[in-house]
Amino acid sequence: MKKKDIIVGIIVLLSITVLSGFLLAQVFNIAEPKISEQKKIDEETLNREIFQDGVTFEQKKIKDIKFTVVHNKDGDLLGRIFDLKATGYGGQILIKAGVDKDLKITGIRILEHTETPGLGSKITDAGFLEQFKDKEDGTIYLKKDNPQGEIDSITGATVSSSAVTEEIRKLQENLKTLNGETQ
Amino acid sequence: MKKTVDFKNFTLGLWKDNPIFYLMLGLCPLLAVSAALKDALGMGVAFIFVLVGSNITVSIIRKIVPEHIRIPVFIVVIATFVTIMDYSLAAFSPQLHKNLGVYLPLMVVNCILLGRAEAFASKNNVINSTLDGLGMGLGFTIAILIIASIREFLGQGTLFGINILGENYLPLLIMIMPPGAFLVIGFLMAIKNSVGGRKKC
Repeated sequence: MKKKDIIVGIIVLLSITVLSGFLLAQVFNIAEPKISEQKKIDEETLNREIFQDGVTFEQKKIKDIKFTVVHNKDGDLLGRIFDLKATGYGGQILIKAGVDKDLKITGIRILEHTETPGLGSKITDAGFLEQFKDKEDGTIYLKKDNPQGEIDSITGATVSSSAVTEEIRKLQENLKTLNGETQ
Repeated sequence: MKKTVDFKNFTLGLWKDNPIFYLMLGLCPLLAVSAALKDALGMGVAFIFVLVGSNITVSIIRKIVPEHIRIPVFIVVIATFVTIMDYSLAAFSPQLHKNLGVYLPLMVVNCILLGRAEAFASKNNVINSTLDGLGMGLGFTIAILIIASIREFLGQGTLFGINILGENYLPLLIMIMPPGAFLVIGFLMAIKNSVGGRKKC
């Protein structure tokens, strides 16, 4: 290869890379505000789905645990929504878990995930998530893992199902010790 | 002399040179996203956009790109289009973006894109490259839709999420799992070979 070829190659590749970088920056500038806006809307919709009577949603953080305190229109405490992170089959799963003032789990929603479409992505289905409602201590296990478990896993997506289940069980176990601090 | 516009470039990708059933390229996203029709349709549309975009760009710059650096240049072009698609879907169609998940950014390494850039767009003019991109893209979309409808129908008893076979149908679960995709592709390929002539080595 001649010296000239190498220099031409460098210039062409460099200019094409710079050009795509520039183009991407433009696209990003247009898309970014919409994406973050969408994320905020998603989060608010999920919060409202979990506590339908909620009026004020106040974000708090204690010892690395992020949660939202929810009050109704009269200012009474309805419960809290915890932000959980589970590691699924395809990456991180961001979970929102609603807990009422008696520390019972009232509703679970999936905020973000990258599980396999058609299989693991079913963790967002109501049928799966409704199972976690009002469960007694020691029953949040997959049925096939623990005889006392009351959670049906999603067919073909054991890893995703157990990632979510375990994270919610941990929350249930932690709730007792957290009680005094999250008021 | 080569014709400047040859409509055959469009139709070839649809059936005879179908990227999935003939060229056997891009099987990876096909296996992964063909469990449900809705996701497959989204993947197909996103794929057409990226393929046409990268084909046009590669064709425009084909004369200024030296032979020895063409592969990194093609990859940069493809990655740019995939990222544009990723951002736009996240901004304007968040639900579809969520469903496609990790397979959208993974399109960067899809071999149909690089294959068409290398085998066609880098040797042909812009119009023919556009036609080739459209044909190949549609061919891929049709293939993924056929496979997804068979898998969703047998595996869940639904089409586009609408229940067809009723509650009593016991789903053939293997169909929505990865082996089901291999089985369906294998059968379809056998059918295409027997109808459309055997692939010659």
